[in-house]
Amino acid sequence: MKPTGILFFPAFDWAISPTHPEREERLLYTRDQIFEEGIMDFPQIREYQPGLATAKDIARVHFCVPDIDTHITEAHLVSAGSALLMADAVMQGEVRNGFAIIRPPGHHAMTVTHGNRGFCNINNEAIMIEYLRKKYGVKRIAIIDTDVHHGDGTQEIYYNDPDVLFVSFHQDGRTLYPGSGFMDELGGPLAYGTTINIPLAPKTTDTGINYAIDNLILPMLEEFKPELIINSAGQDNHYSDPLANMAFSAKGYADLNKKLKPDIAVLEGGYSVETALPYINMALIMAMANIDYSNLREPDYVPSRFKESKRNLDYIKDMVEKQLNVFRKREEIIAENRQKAGDFHSYHRSIFYDTEYLHEDQRNELRMCPQCSGFRVINSSCQHHNGRLYKVSCISVPANACSQCQEQARRVYRDMSSYNHYDFVYLQDRLGDEYRSFDLQKDLEKVL
Amino acid sequence: MLIGIDVGGTYTDGVLFHGNSIIAAEKRPTDENDLKNTLLQVLDELLKAAGKAEIKRIVLSTTLVTNILATGKGERTALILLPGRSLPYSEYKICPETYFLKGSIDFRGKETESLDKAQLAQIINDIQLSGVKKLAIASKFCNRNAEHEIAVKKAVQEKCPEISVSISSEISSKLNFPRRAVSTYFTAMTIDKWNEFADEIEEAIKARGLQTEIHILKADGGTMPLQISRKRPCETVFSGPAASTMGGLALDQNEKNSVVVDIGGTTSDISLIISGQPLYASRGARIEDKFTHVNAFALRSIALGGDSLIWHDEDIIQIGPQRQGVAACFGGEHATVTDVFNYHLNLGIGNSEMSTASIEKLAGKAGMDSADLTANIVDMAVERLTRTIRDMFREWENEPAYKVWEVINKRKFHLDRIIGIGAAAKSIIPMVAERMQVDCLIHEYSPVANALGASVVRPTLAVDLHIDTQNNYYTVDPGGLKEELRKAGDWQLEDARQLARTHLDKVCRERGMEEYAAESSFYMEEQFNVIRGWSRSGKIFDLGLQVSPGFIKEYKGVEI
Ligand SMILES: [Zn+2]
Ligand SMILES: [Zn+2]
Repeated sequence: MKPTGILFFPAFDWAISPTHPEREERLLYTRDQIFEEGIMDFPQIREYQPGLATAKDIARVHFCVPDIDTHITEAHLVSAGSALLMADAVMQGEVRNGFAIIRPPGHHAMTVTHGNRGFCNINNEAIMIEYLRKKYGVKRIAIIDTDVHHGDGTQEIYYNDPDVLFVSFHQDGRTLYPGSGFMDELGGPLAYGTTINIPLAPKTTDTGINYAIDNLILPMLEEFKPELIINSAGQDNHYSDPLANMAFSAKGYADLNKKLKPDIAVLEGGYSVETALPYINMALIMAMANIDYSNLREPDYVPSRFKESKRNLDYIKDMVEKQLNVFRKREEIIAENRQKAGDFHSYHRSIFYDTEYLHEDQRNELRMCPQCSGFRVINSSCQHHNGRLYKVSCISVPANACSQCQEQARRVYRDMSSYNHYDFVYLQDRLGDEYRSFDLQKDLEKVL
Repeated sequence: MLIGIDVGGTYTDGVLFHGNSIIAAEKRPTDENDLKNTLLQVLDELLKAAGKAEIKRIVLSTTLVTNILATGKGERTALILLPGRSLPYSEYKICPETYFLKGSIDFRGKETESLDKAQLAQIINDIQLSGVKKLAIASKFCNRNAEHEIAVKKAVQEKCPEISVSISSEISSKLNFPRRAVSTYFTAMTIDKWNEFADEIEEAIKARGLQTEIHILKADGGTMPLQISRKRPCETVFSGPAASTMGGLALDQNEKNSVVVDIGGTTSDISLIISGQPLYASRGARIEDKFTHVNAFALRSIALGGDSLIWHDEDIIQIGPQRQGVAACFGGEHATVTDVFNYHLNLGIGNSEMSTASIEKLAGKAGMDSADLTANIVDMAVERLTRTIRDMFREWENEPAYKVWEVINKRKFHLDRIIGIGAAAKSIIPMVAERMQVDCLIHEYSPVANALGASVVRPTLAVDLHIDTQNNYYTVDPGGLKEELRKAGDWQLEDARQLARTHLDKVCRERGMEEYAAESSFYMEEQFNVIRGWSRSGKIFDLGLQVSPGFIKEYKGVEI
């Protein structure tokens, strides 16, 4: 059997700020644990060296305002680049699956980036998915976000993409950052039912999460038939995590990965750096490499410590049934939406950047295309720390776009570029793999 | 005068070195069943050449431990492992007589599960009944806290004083429990035989009335006093290739990037020198297919040597890997790689006519033109060496990196020159260098560079220090010591460096290598703030300080 790829990039020389939870020490004990176990020497494991993402890899997903250099440190390029490298190893058949144990994380980063949200600047998984689509022609992908926080960035990026099934289970948004991920967030009109949220009550245990996996996530994967399964692998559902309140264990994480069989797992959050991460990371590696993990557990873990309440289990059962129904009716509903839709579907969003305390206002216009999932225009404004108010227009053409949408989007980009209302206008043409930004003040266009 | 002797698998080489030249060299076939005897024969020849001159130092490199392990002639040894709650026990396939004991320590040195005393008593009972007399003990994270290992050792010795016990915290403090367990197991298995050998050598030296230092060459290309080697026999494995690499470097010391190619009878050993320093295997030496914590050079062997047989199978001409005696030009019966180069490049080695005859015979049988045939073989041989060398660069360039700057400043290997050593280097290496478009160095001492290397290398030493200020302790290797921190308050990197230097100085004094202490340098410096709840509650340092491989002060190079 082929080995499991492990790419360990702890960024031992990078932190958001000296005492921030996203710090150099975060993967130190994980390093100690996995190196002491000697598992990198095992024939079942192949260790990889980090990679570097390019500006173009990032532009496939993000509109960085005003530009990529403003937000992206070298650490981000390495973290995202490492996810790409792991993906290459899997796609080229060098390994059966791969786990990128990397930081900084990415799942809170949305399409438009004005700064850091929830410790994330750029979305590692989304950058990887668009890279996979471009390089290998992969179309259908499932992302299971197993971080305790709602993966709102990844959800936003794929909200209108019917070829990406995004599933997130997390601690209920009424009790935890980022305050979203409710049951009724189900995808845009042309991608309805391919965004599925599973908000869980605080203190949910292995039993509760496994119920949702067995009875909702696995059946959905079975029916959706993705070419690739990606685990957006946060580790903060753990009972000892200082930033959340769940009761998941290392063994629970191992079981989860054994069932999901992700092709690629990418580390996200998890800040119980000493009492959880070393054990969860070992658990994930062992599960992915098909090594028996029945002997593994955290030093303070007692199997009888957490018990799921009947009330909570009933709540989960009910939610699972409802969400599975929605998922199964998605094609019907999308057809209906298409029937009754106008030319454009528009909606408004306001986005808060907790790390940097920024407020962004967005107006989205999605073309209700009869052929594809439609191009999108995001008009965004946000005042940055330097006091400057940025007004930008971002035009995004999806990878599965029709040529009509592509042409129309290009026209919109040209029109906006001559319209003095915006500071910057961007065109993200995934179909043509061409990324333009136009600085109206300087009358300067850049093309990637 | 200095003596270096390399007891290799096929041949034993020795040199007597003085000033900047080799006074005498001796080569003999190795008697595998009596290494000591071969060694002493070579030594006696060198002593004869030295006459009344004082011998200041003798350095020995030997395959004794490698042979014991390779032939399964080590002593029967049991192993007690304390792996804690993680991998299944079935993953530890180290020793047929392994006992698993409950009890665990974590990465901070905290006991997370106490020793199971009843289980331990049972294990000791079983071991005693089994009649085994050697025992190795390894616990996970003993490099942060060796209490469990020490307690188990004590319990065994109280009950069975006849069993000799090795514990892993005394062997290495590096992370990687299985490698540490393997290293300790191999140590326990070979320690008596190695000590017997050391006794015999000491006696033989005494019998010859010599007042001289005796050192043993290690896999890391440095020496250690014979006395120190008595506790660390495993460090002597692969010292032969280390002698060759250091010999290659000795021929022309500078800060260049080089590759040393040692072309022997049937194999070529290749090692890399980066800015004047030999490259280590990132995973430690692999002995009998198991990774260990023995620090060894990164080395690749390919089955291609001067004596490799040239043969043909239908239309395809092949090189080796088998050997059927020496080259035709040295009186052998068949054409070998040496004959091919001799013919193709008109080198005039040995009896060149015999090279020509053997090649024409082979070409006739294969229905080929002799010139075409040799051109073909030369190209194949050069290509295989070139490819292997390039693979090694790539492997080094692709080592994992754990810091942003290491990834951004991705390393690239620029080769400056190839150093050829071994008897057949002279004929083959210049063409490899030409193909790679780099300089090449072949010296008249190339054939005995291994023994030359042994005679002039200096001692090496690495000190690994782990400091945890939140938990107020440090651990240090060699020694496997754990101590409380004497300095309270805020620790800076410089304080940590100072502590490492103090320990290095101490060990240098114990090993009589004080004069090299000042040349030590840090090969690892890691510093972490321990953050708990948005504030700093301590620091963790991991430091590595070493006297790296090099040459003794009186060695100023050889005449070029
Ligand atoms: Zn999280
Ligand atoms: Zn369209």
